[in-house]
Amino acid sequence: MSDGYEILTLDEVETASHRGSNLIPLRHTLGFRPAGVNAWIANSGGQLIPPHEEDSGNEELYVVVRGRATFTVGEETAESPAGTLVFVPPEVFRTAVAEEDGTIVFAVGGTVGEAFNPGGWDSFALADTYRQAGRPEEGRAIMAQLIAEKPQYWASHYNAGCFEALAGNADAAFEHLRRAKELAPAEDAAMYFREDTDLDPLRDDPRFQELLG
Amino acid sequence: MNRAHLDELDRIELPDGFVWRPVRRHFGIQAFGTNAYTPGASGQVVEEHTEQTNQHEEIYLVLRGRVRFTIGGDEHELGAGQLVFLRDPSLRRAAVAITDDAAVLAVGGKPGEPHEVSAWEYSFATAPHTRAGRYDESRRLLREGLEAKPGSAALLYELACVEALAGEHDRALELLNESVATEERFREYAQTDEDFASIREDPRFPR
Repeated sequence: MSDGYEILTLDEVETASHRGSNLIPLRHTLGFRPAGVNAWIANSGGQLIPPHEEDSGNEELYVVVRGRATFTVGEETAESPAGTLVFVPPEVFRTAVAEEDGTIVFAVGGTVGEAFNPGGWDSFALADTYRQAGRPEEGRAIMAQLIAEKPQYWASHYNAGCFEALAGNADAAFEHLRRAKELAPAEDAAMYFREDTDLDPLRDDPRFQELLG
Repeated sequence: MNRAHLDELDRIELPDGFVWRPVRRHFGIQAFGTNAYTPGASGQVVEEHTEQTNQHEEIYLVLRGRVRFTIGGDEHELGAGQLVFLRDPSLRRAAVAITDDAAVLAVGGKPGEPHEVSAWEYSFATAPHTRAGRYDESRRLLREGLEAKPGSAALLYELACVEALAGEHDRALELLNESVATEERFREYAQTDEDFASIREDPRFPR
């Protein structure tokens, strides 16, 4: 990092695996704050963008930087060479597959009328990639950085809780999750606690029932 | 699917000789600021500027070709798939294309605040119309901007330019004085702006 600016080459950033795709974790790496920015890289036939929908109000723009990608948005499919921009409104299904080796798609997202809050899914993806590679301390440092960036945002603590649950640290996990519950809108927290498989290692612990209650 | 190739976006050549590709405007994006630039007559792809006024953090990603960035006095040559992130709004930044096919995507915004469309987007959009003497179209775009950003000194200033060029001198002087009263920096800009040649000698012109 130099004085107030930073230069980065997309395919030199260490990738994280996230739901069957390779994430280039730009937001985390740069510490960019105004919007969600990330990129995805895959070889021919590989999944670039995990199939998903975004929440209400969340707009996303995808830009093919290199190679060629087939996008599916809603019911439509289109092959898109480098230089193509694809805009996807909230709550619409999207995914993309690479048609050439080394295809890169850059993504920008945010919620209309709201200041950007990093949900932390990208930090978690990188931290969990490190954990699975036997580098848990590096993963833990990433989650600590996310919490330091947004200490009052429930999802930062929630994702740190998931990380620790998977790392087998029940005490640390419950500490993070209790903090997440304090800060979260009640319905959001309850839904995630009930449904998130990352928390499965904690479900038999009596403290988990307290959390749900 | 709401999809466009970079080369299919509007090509709006600006007075500094660079070409604005209005990405945000094309797609109607409201959640964040993003635009692309390709070289025109001057080869420029990023206008020399700082983000002192808007306090934006910015990313410039090279989508195609090669580009020479000048950042706070340092020079860096970047190729496709490389980006520069400017955290410090006070850094002076600019870029020129090294290859004719160069294209740069910009993403920017003020941390901790919901995105607001920048006043310059409305001003940039008027450039081809004003140059061609289609002042009514420029007026319409700037009024649209003033509805979204009431009292914006930058947009009042731009509208004053259009009225001066259109020969509506009283209206131009009124708007220019309103702009200068709102933001002092426009007084200085007005002294050397060629658009005001027709009204500079008027006693009502802000000195």
